[in-house]
Amino acid sequence: MSGRRVLRSGLPVVLSLALAAYILAPFAWVALSSIQPEKELFRVPPRWIPRVLTVDNYRFVFTGRFPAGYEETGIARGRISEKARDALPALRNSTIVAVSVALANLVLGTLAAYTFSRLRFPGAGPLYSFILASRLLPPMAVAIPYYLIVNRLGLLDRYAALILIHTVFTLPFTVWFLTVYFRRVPPDLEEAAFVDGCTRLQALVRIVVPVTAPALAAATAFSFMFSYNDFPFALFVTSTIRSQTIPVIVANTAINPDVSFGVVAVTVVLTMLPPVAFAMAFRRYITRGLITVTTTR
Amino acid sequence: MPPRRQYRETRYAYATVLPVVLIVALFTLYPFAFALLTSLREVVLYRPWSQPFVGLKNYLDVVRSEFFVASWQHTLTFVAWAVPLATLLGFAVAHLLNARTPLAPLLNVVILLPWAIPTVISGIIWAWIFNSSYGAFNGALYSLGLIDSYLPWLSRPRSALACVLFAHIWKEVPLTSILYLAALQAIPEELYDAARVDGAGALAALRRITVPLVLPTTLIVLVYETMVGIVTFDLLYVMTGGGPAGATSLISYYLYNSMFVAFNFGQGAALAVLLALALVALIALYLRLLRSEEIYAT
Repeated sequence: MSGRRVLRSGLPVVLSLALAAYILAPFAWVALSSIQPEKELFRVPPRWIPRVLTVDNYRFVFTGRFPAGYEETGIARGRISEKARDALPALRNSTIVAVSVALANLVLGTLAAYTFSRLRFPGAGPLYSFILASRLLPPMAVAIPYYLIVNRLGLLDRYAALILIHTVFTLPFTVWFLTVYFRRVPPDLEEAAFVDGCTRLQALVRIVVPVTAPALAAATAFSFMFSYNDFPFALFVTSTIRSQTIPVIVANTAINPDVSFGVVAVTVVLTMLPPVAFAMAFRRYITRGLITVTTTR
Repeated sequence: MPPRRQYRETRYAYATVLPVVLIVALFTLYPFAFALLTSLREVVLYRPWSQPFVGLKNYLDVVRSEFFVASWQHTLTFVAWAVPLATLLGFAVAHLLNARTPLAPLLNVVILLPWAIPTVISGIIWAWIFNSSYGAFNGALYSLGLIDSYLPWLSRPRSALACVLFAHIWKEVPLTSILYLAALQAIPEELYDAARVDGAGALAALRRITVPLVLPTTLIVLVYETMVGIVTFDLLYVMTGGGPAGATSLISYYLYNSMFVAFNFGQGAALAVLLALALVALIALYLRLLRSEEIYAT
């Protein structure tokens, strides 16, 4: 019996440890790769605890000074790895696009969701269904037309193109998410406000928004992260560092077999910082939000 | 409600809803109609001035192509592994997140990390882990004495697909486990107490209480994971490039190839329409399942 009790309390702990290791090991591997000289990375078998540490890879990405020893591993390597220096402008592009998408979602999504949750008007049901169903279209199925629309609008390789596309792909979720949330807010407070002469918009901004702030934060976080993390659309409608986002730059640098792992590892670490920080900052809202919308019927 | 106020309300409703509807329509209906029309014409990059109407020829060409059949086979193999694994592991991990262990608070933070980062980034990391000259996986097997020399895991057809699957599961399980955690927390504790009083074991409680009550979540997870699995693209782009020998060229990647590498837009559009139809059929099936489940619940 006591053996069974040990199993019942010990097994979850062991499994939890294994799970944490499974999740964290890849992060540790890439972080350690970014602070070691290239030669160390190619040791067989690898040194699980690194002995030689360096900030050269980071210095290269930030200042362009080549890490020592890269000339030995081939001249092309340096030139190929040069692309990794685009990581900083690409991070700026990603941030501009993702923040714009998040704000567009916050404004347009909140307004539409509140209307769907409260008002009856002709066509409300079909329009709501249409917005949600639009999300079923596979990205790859609309890639070529997107390219052509964006081209015709004169927006190729501009922030506006990506902001538009990401907004279209995030709005359905935002509208659904917020509509579910707003329906849970009792309408009594607003009714009182209407008696006092409030308009719909005033009621939304002054009464509903403050009490649903956590949901709005979660919706904003979701749309920011979708936009920041998107790869296929960014690949198709951007072409130069003028608008290329960080996933595109890092992916196209990394798939070159001759690139320096240490340098790309730095860009990978830099890429992960914003969404991880975002996920941690909004963690409670994100989890609670998901819990609410998936269990509300 | 007085008619004047009614009118104002309706005007407000359209003013707030239409911007969203219009922008979504412009970027869904128009592109889809465009894809539909393009799929009926011969459109190739090197003859942009001539786009003759060819009827269903593109569809026939696409369906008869051995690559089309092969890419659907790879896609279905991938989905057949990915969906049950993501679902079952999510269900299992949710129990760990919900358990009263000292590690649960930490796990609840850590679990979000793979979900938070871009898919291409997780693909790059896993491609390095399975790399043949610098890979932690090879390194670990070598250190343990299981292999004598490093193996090219990503250049062999079977192991390449397995590597992509591994990376995919790592990225997907966090979301499915959070969804299951939500479902678990919604189950009233009294049900389990009552079952215990009635002498039901842990396994019986799992089968009779937990599994039926998380069924709505299971449906969401199954459909979502099937969709995500079918449209997998990012991982393939950075991990294998569709290779070796097309073994990891799943349908979305094949589509990308025929449009942006082979530049046969007509066939690409036909492929896109077929993919969209497959997904819509899937959703219809899902809604049907959901409806029958609701009848069961009432």
